Amino acid sequence: MTERRIERFSFIERMMHWLAALSFLYAALTGLALWSHRLYWLAAVFGGGETVRGWHPWGGIVFTLTIGYMFQNWARQMKLDREDLQWLRRAHRYAIHDDKDLPEANKFNAGQKLLFWVQSVATILLLFSGTVLWWPHSMSQDFRLLAILIHPISAILSIGAIIVHIYMGTAAVPGAFRGMIQGWVRPEWASSHHPKWFREILKR
Amino acid sequence: MSEKPVLAKIIDTTTCIGCKACEVACQEWNDQEFTISGLGGDYQTQPDVTHNFWNLIKFNEESDDDQMSWLMAKYQCMHCADPGCLKACPAPGAIVVLDNGIVDFNQDNCIGCGYCITGCPFDIPRLNPQTNKVYKCTLCSDRTEVGLQPACIKACPTSCLTFGTRSELLQKAEDRSQELQDDGIKTAGVYNPIGVGGTNVLYVLAHADRPEAYGLPKDPKIPWAVWFWKSPLKWFGNLILIGGILGTFVHYLRYGPKNYQDEND
Repeated sequence: MTERRIERFSFIERMMHWLAALSFLYAALTGLALWSHRLYWLAAVFGGGETVRGWHPWGGIVFTLTIGYMFQNWARQMKLDREDLQWLRRAHRYAIHDDKDLPEANKFNAGQKLLFWVQSVATILLLFSGTVLWWPHSMSQDFRLLAILIHPISAILSIGAIIVHIYMGTAAVPGAFRGMIQGWVRPEWASSHHPKWFREILKR
Repeated sequence: MSEKPVLAKIIDTTTCIGCKACEVACQEWNDQEFTISGLGGDYQTQPDVTHNFWNLIKFNEESDDDQMSWLMAKYQCMHCADPGCLKACPAPGAIVVLDNGIVDFNQDNCIGCGYCITGCPFDIPRLNPQTNKVYKCTLCSDRTEVGLQPACIKACPTSCLTFGTRSELLQKAEDRSQELQDDGIKTAGVYNPIGVGGTNVLYVLAHADRPEAYGLPKDPKIPWAVWFWKSPLKWFGNLILIGGILGTFVHYLRYGPKNYQDEND
């Protein structure tokens, strides 16, 4: 029965999302290898320190491109409105499943929108600081000192947000993962998690 | 087993004649292919140290009372007691402090990230873009290991360069600067910056009050940003990482998934 399926993400959206996920995972793990001596064993997993140093930036470039796609695709829907701010102020209630006073979510709830903006800003910071770290010997010392601070700070921000994102997308919200893998969700899922979006769909 | 004494060298700038024998000896011993990296329009061999030129006499020009003078100072790795390069290095074993105090780069372990360049307060390490490895003066660790003097020391004709144990040379440098002060050079002194825990390369300067005139930083320290990155930021990052993973797990145990009514799922 086709009515039992609502398209959540198109094929190209899912492709880009998983390309982003893979390149993020690669860049994060190779980055962590160089973050701490205790995690340097990760460098061996990915082909050794020199390989990691050479390829980590390319992982970052691929990730930046996928984020660029997502940005132009979703930026309009990701604008935070008054209700979203209200939602964010009550986010702790969302976390304990006490949703009755929360504003109804559109295609993306305020938490997802926040993730979108955090990743957008972090990616820009990572791109610029990463460019400095890619060719440190052609940069001024002031740029290098700035980059060794901004790169990890934005990476911590980004990884921290992704940990929550992965949790929400898998264990915490059953049904969400199928939306990003197979591309569709159940009507009940949509009306429960994204009621505004669901009503829009029904109107069409 | 007794601990090995820390080795050091003195560069007495007051007796350097700028003959560049140390430069040549360094190039020869380390088998460097010399490539001119540019001329500064003066007597200096090249503007700065490079990945294949680790020992450079800086011909710092100074003029006072219509008199031009050179403040010649041999420039190379300072072999800091608290090396900023090592603090910044992400690859274990790429930068090592030998038990004789030499700060040595092990190119086999170097990944070419260049963080040591950022960490060094003396701007010494240089990346070779062909090999993607960083190089600098080794204090001839391959010679000192077998009891020989570093090549630069061996070649110096004026005894401006001396090599020995650090404790011995510290005294010697102090004695020499006292001698200079007795001769009327009141500003004479030893350059052994404490900001990096002291260096195993000691200078005797006629103008110790202004080392910048010799091209030496006045008060070198490991950059603040490098310290911040490697201490508080690292702990904060680890907290977020571990806290995030544990936190989501505990959340699931306590509150479980966000359910919706769908008997077909």
